[in-house]
Amino acid sequence: MNFSFFERLLGLISNVHEISAESMSFMEMIKPPEDISTNGHLIEWLFMYTTYVNLFWFSLVVIGIFGFSFLYSKKRHKKPLYTHGNEKKHLIITAAIALGVFLSVDLVITRVSTHDMKEVFWNFDDSGDVIKVQVLAQQWAWNFRYAGADGEFNTADDVVTLNDMRVPVGKKIMIQMTSKDVIHAFYLPNARIKADAIPGRFAKLWFDANKPGKYEIACAEMCGTHHYLMKAQLTVLSQEDFSDWVKESQSMAIATNDTEDVNLRWGWKWGSK
Amino acid sequence: MAFLEQHIHDEPKTFVSKYLISYDHKVIGKQFLWYGIFWLLVGGLMAMLIRWTLAYPGVPFPIIGSLLFPHTGGVVPPDTYAMLFHMHGTIMIFFAITPILIGAFGNFCIPLMIGARDMIFPTLNMLSFWFSMASGGLLLLSLCLPLGAAAGGWTSYPTLSTNLGQPGAGQTLWLLSLFLFGASSTMGAVNYITTVITLRAPGMDYFKMPLTIWGIWLTSILNAIFVPVLGAGLILLTFDRVFGTTFFLAGAAATSGKGDPVLFQHVFWIFGHPEVYILILPAWGIVSDLLAFFSRKPAFGYKMTALSLTAITVLSTVVYGHHMYTTQMSPLLTQSFMTLTMLISIPSAIFFANWLGTIWKGSINFASPMLFSLGVVFVFGLGGLTGLYLASTSIDLYLHDTYFVVGHFHYTMAASVLLGGFAGTYFWFPKMFGRMMDERLAKIHFWTTMIPLNGIFTGMMLMGWAGMHRRLYNPFIYEFMEKLMPLNKFTTYCAIAMGIAQITFIYNFVNTIFNKKLPQAENNPWKVGTLEWDMPSPAPYYNFKEIPHVKCGPHEMGNPNLPEGKDFQYQTEELVKA
Amino acid sequence: MATKAQNLEEKMFQQSVAMTVTLIAFSMLFATLFLGFFLVRFNTPMWPPVEIQGMPVFLPLLSTIIMAVSSFTYHRLQTREPMRGFYWKLTFGLGVSFLICQKLLWSALTAKGILVSNGNVPSMVIAFTWIHAAHIFMGLALLLWLGRFIFKKKEELTEIKLINVGKFWHFLGVVWLLMYLTMFVL
Repeated sequence: MNFSFFERLLGLISNVHEISAESMSFMEMIKPPEDISTNGHLIEWLFMYTTYVNLFWFSLVVIGIFGFSFLYSKKRHKKPLYTHGNEKKHLIITAAIALGVFLSVDLVITRVSTHDMKEVFWNFDDSGDVIKVQVLAQQWAWNFRYAGADGEFNTADDVVTLNDMRVPVGKKIMIQMTSKDVIHAFYLPNARIKADAIPGRFAKLWFDANKPGKYEIACAEMCGTHHYLMKAQLTVLSQEDFSDWVKESQSMAIATNDTEDVNLRWGWKWGSK
Repeated sequence: MAFLEQHIHDEPKTFVSKYLISYDHKVIGKQFLWYGIFWLLVGGLMAMLIRWTLAYPGVPFPIIGSLLFPHTGGVVPPDTYAMLFHMHGTIMIFFAITPILIGAFGNFCIPLMIGARDMIFPTLNMLSFWFSMASGGLLLLSLCLPLGAAAGGWTSYPTLSTNLGQPGAGQTLWLLSLFLFGASSTMGAVNYITTVITLRAPGMDYFKMPLTIWGIWLTSILNAIFVPVLGAGLILLTFDRVFGTTFFLAGAAATSGKGDPVLFQHVFWIFGHPEVYILILPAWGIVSDLLAFFSRKPAFGYKMTALSLTAITVLSTVVYGHHMYTTQMSPLLTQSFMTLTMLISIPSAIFFANWLGTIWKGSINFASPMLFSLGVVFVFGLGGLTGLYLASTSIDLYLHDTYFVVGHFHYTMAASVLLGGFAGTYFWFPKMFGRMMDERLAKIHFWTTMIPLNGIFTGMMLMGWAGMHRRLYNPFIYEFMEKLMPLNKFTTYCAIAMGIAQITFIYNFVNTIFNKKLPQAENNPWKVGTLEWDMPSPAPYYNFKEIPHVKCGPHEMGNPNLPEGKDFQYQTEELVKA
Repeated sequence: MATKAQNLEEKMFQQSVAMTVTLIAFSMLFATLFLGFFLVRFNTPMWPPVEIQGMPVFLPLLSTIIMAVSSFTYHRLQTREPMRGFYWKLTFGLGVSFLICQKLLWSALTAKGILVSNGNVPSMVIAFTWIHAAHIFMGLALLLWLGRFIFKKKEELTEIKLINVGKFWHFLGVVWLLMYLTMFVL
């Protein structure tokens, strides 16, 4: 059985009412969004590894179910074997299977996963040339805050945007995040990352983007009726374009700053708990 | 231990004492069965509405849509959509699966299979049913409120579930309803545990109990320990909503106080993860028994199966953190939860090997209960293995809260449990109602359920891998999900097909119960040796005239030393040896 | 008569299994509350936090003493058959005065400005005493039920009933003691 068979089957069933403008292959359809980060492939690698191991073990189950059903049906196999499955050889086989699962699944996934998290995804080192962004989630929008020229957050030259995140290509983007009202989750499928924004707590997240373009940021945690509309745009700019944008927005921010408006000052000191 | 012989209570005479306010465990079991099937239909209809919205956003729901949502012309509105998936989860877990698997089979099977005349506390048993009726009533009531029922997802995470996000009374009613449900479950659990410990017939050791009883018993233990944990969480959340406490309120929008919403998540999942096993353990037990019965040979590695079920029960209590990776607990905690979660694969591998060992070299009779049991092995294989992705902390970064999770838990909690429930229903039906369900319809039911079921849940997992996240009213406002439209439609068609297939079951079930022209079932139609089959069908109100003395295991079949023409022996018979 | 004694033993065994399971269930409920309390407590930098400063000292202590004495009188109720009616009245009275004490405690807290809406620490202190008081109500209901057998239907009063109600009453005492120690003393 090959994939084109599935494709045709799926196409047959699902496109009855809809003539798709461009026919897309099945494999293309279920491909995750384009990976724009340096480390997203780590997750994909572990996913694929797990898939192959799972396919191996599941094929054993399938062979067992269908093979035994075929071989030992009432018609074909009249006299069942009388065994309680507690002989030594049975125990050894069972133990071997359990050990096989332990070695192929548990050990590998746990180790690779721990390694990836420790070395990469939990590596919140914000020294050096990184872009720091504060994110405030609210029902149903994303607020982004950049420190501006003084490098301090919650000052007059902060660049604040709504549902519009801009980052330069090839730099580490450090995010600190909280929520104003209910729990949200910052989900950037193109970098394979996600973290909850919880009121009263600060979440940390980092990613980098290697391909300029426009991408989507979603809220992944149920946050109310309009949860599905809580979408922000991520624009990956070249480094020059990004610094131009920051400069421009910064001067605009200073010009329009209203010291009386407390709502503008939702930021916090970077790194505070 | 001295065993206790209960008295034979008087035969109920009137309609009310026989069917409504009954103390008889068999009647209470049947009440739970009807109750569960009712809610299954309600929850199923909600699933259809959800699936329809995902495949055809903005298109009126066919036929009954304009009746349900007149003010939008039949289109499911976004706030109703949120309500629907909240209620679908709640109803399916607490009001459909729990009553059927634990309420119905637990009540019906425990006394019959361990050789007792009734549950140890019949009154408590009855109360447990009426408490769950009351909780179901509260939930129905909340659906009729002007501001609608609770709509924060079945996990009801604060602060969305506090007055901040859910101003209506629906959420409070939901909390009270679940609290009552918890009381009912705990009563049931106390009853089941005590019955199994004290009322086993003489000779019925723990390792001579059918695996069904093992499953239900372990479930009850988890229930008794962890449902009160949920109870505490519900009380605190209710206080937050009603008395203005601030356990879970935080953030700039909370006008006073500082609580911690993550505390609720801890409490909820300390209960929530065992709950997953509470639902699946009875199904595992039933399947382990049925595979042996219909392969005509003893369960392979009976003791190992019982022990691995126990091991999973124990492990299930310490892995709950894998639901909360994205809340960023301390790395040490996260890693420990991942490692512990992974360990569950070992006992699972053992009983999968035992299941396959059971049908190996058997003489398999593909009756409907067997088909459904083999179905459980298949779908739980898929469901269990896909759990590995989500247990891993790094893959979970991407897959958390996507449709991959939805597909995974539907495979384990919905598909496996539902198929296990059907297997049990077809199997015990003659003992419950005295007639055999139509075998041909049952087989049609199996295939028409099994095929679309896999379409739905595999479809969901593929969507999840493609990045589609959960609880979206209209996923296609995201560019990266636009291409998933055909897959969503395919899944919806499968869901509708599976929904229609259930008509076969309902017709078969109702017709067999009420059609008096159908012949009576034999006492032992499946030729099985456990205690409940050694009595008339349907089971008489006193169960056993004489309390049986148990002498051998539950699946003694295919013994070559048995006399000619006989391939099984009752548990009351001495094991035939060469 | 031997069979009757044997039956009694069996019944006691069953009931004690059931009561143990029930108490495990109840203690999980309280354990969860304590877990929440400790999580909050260890995440609060300064203890006691401002929100609960100036909590009354005398009333909780009085409640604890009342609870301890009532446990003792219940024990007497179980063992001293001739004085059963008297000890029942004493235990019941002590239970009621415990509730009055709690009521006074809540009024005192309100008077001091320690309100449930002030944050999660006062929320916990007050709500937990509410939940415990609700259980005391259940305990009193059980005592009333037992009283029916002590005063009216004497022949139906069995050892099992005495033991089971006692277990529940002592359990509530222990929970209160833990609450007192964790919330008001430490």
